Amino acid sequence: MKSAVNKGWRPLLVLILLLVIWESAARLFNIPDWLLPLPSQIAAEAFTGYSLYTSHIMSTVTLSATGYLVGIIVGIVVAILLFRIPFLQQAFYPLLILSQNIPVIVLAPLLVIWFGFGMLPKVIVIVLVCFFPVTIAALDGFRQTDRDMLYYLKMIGASNRQIFWKLQWPHSLPSLFSGLKIAATYSVMGAVISEWLGANKGIGVYMTLASSSFKTDRVFVAIVLIMILSLLYFAIILAVEKSVLRWRSQGGNESDGSTHS
Amino acid sequence: MGRLTLESLSKSYGSNHVLQDITLSVKEGEFVSIVGPSGSGKSTIFQLIGGLYTPDSGTISLDGSVLNNSRGHISYMPQSPALFPWRTVLQNVELSAEIAGTKQNRTKTLELIKSAGLSGYEDAYPNELSGGMKQRVSFIRSLNAPQSIICLDEPFSALDEFTRLEMQQWLLSIWETYKKSILFITHDIDEALFLSDRIIVLSDKPAIVKKEITVPFARPRSEELLMSDPFLILKREIYNLLRG
Repeated sequence: MKSAVNKGWRPLLVLILLLVIWESAARLFNIPDWLLPLPSQIAAEAFTGYSLYTSHIMSTVTLSATGYLVGIIVGIVVAILLFRIPFLQQAFYPLLILSQNIPVIVLAPLLVIWFGFGMLPKVIVIVLVCFFPVTIAALDGFRQTDRDMLYYLKMIGASNRQIFWKLQWPHSLPSLFSGLKIAATYSVMGAVISEWLGANKGIGVYMTLASSSFKTDRVFVAIVLIMILSLLYFAIILAVEKSVLRWRSQGGNESDGSTHS
Repeated sequence: MGRLTLESLSKSYGSNHVLQDITLSVKEGEFVSIVGPSGSGKSTIFQLIGGLYTPDSGTISLDGSVLNNSRGHISYMPQSPALFPWRTVLQNVELSAEIAGTKQNRTKTLELIKSAGLSGYEDAYPNELSGGMKQRVSFIRSLNAPQSIICLDEPFSALDEFTRLEMQQWLLSIWETYKKSILFITHDIDEALFLSDRIIVLSDKPAIVKKEITVPFARPRSEELLMSDPFLILKREIYNLLRG
């Protein structure tokens, strides 16, 4: 905790400095509120307009958390299938990359046409943005297993299933967690985008309402909320990672420095 | 149990003729070393015994049953410790029995860890251990396996001279209590003479068995043996065999 405070003051200082520059520059040049509100006005709106957005937050949290959980399960399952079945990998890997080239903003209205305005199309959007980093990270982790350990397991007669669960899976966890962290921040973004398209609750709705009525300060409140939510998800994954990968934080160097020849 | 026999084993990879007509055996509870120039196909012999590849001709048998291209009959200790960093010392030692699918014997495992001088490190992770300690864990992991024969592939070659001698003495003492059959690959003549009952000298590629030497020294062996005349005479003989 102490080290977090020790490291944390630098970005915090930069942030405060930026806000001070923003505040003073906007006052100095007399910029109208609807164009760019002052940081102090945004803070004031965040406090006074509290009741306006609390229910929206819960809705977005539910949506993004659902999408995220489904997304990482899909991501991990896809990674395992592609890795364990080489035929599937050859057939589907290029399609997987292509699926990421479709802009979400184009795909989302289509999903609404197909699945209506309910929860389902929104969850699908989040799953689509979340599963990809998880799959890629997990696949990388599976592939980069240590040769010496693999050779050892083969020599003592481990089956492919044993090799996967005892070596490749635990070995991929550090890499997988990087993917999970990226996906965590994507999930909030995905939730907000899907809410723009047609929802009656959510930070995305709050944001659309605010921007269409030129309540620019509320738009910024929404941005801050999205950031806080993303950071929160990130922190949760970081905490889980720390407890799962305890072996990494203990002792000094990780590698044993010698290789098999 | 633990009688391993290789009979006229040959193997080539394409035009690369690695092994030719290799015949050797390890008796129950015997310590046999294979020495040969580097790149002479010593590790290939292990890969065939381990069932990773099929020999072109010849048979490998353990206690009378043929095990060409079949896996899981031997225990193995690699050159690098290859400990699993996410497993504690105890979990690493238990891995070999886990893979073989046999029941864990916690008392025996803890006893092995104690005999490796690692009491108190049961819950430590490998990155907290020194190089010598890791190799000891790696060896007791191979001892903890249910298989009756252990193949050791130049296990001490990455250690410094003093640690190596210490490890060799420790290996002998623990082997004398557990008495498993051992097939040991090395390019270090001293090591082979100090540890083994018999030494198989291989030639350069394609490897053939040049000579089989029975090591006459009584056990338990001590460090002074390394400087004694009979030891040095045998060492010279093997050295000359390897050179020409």
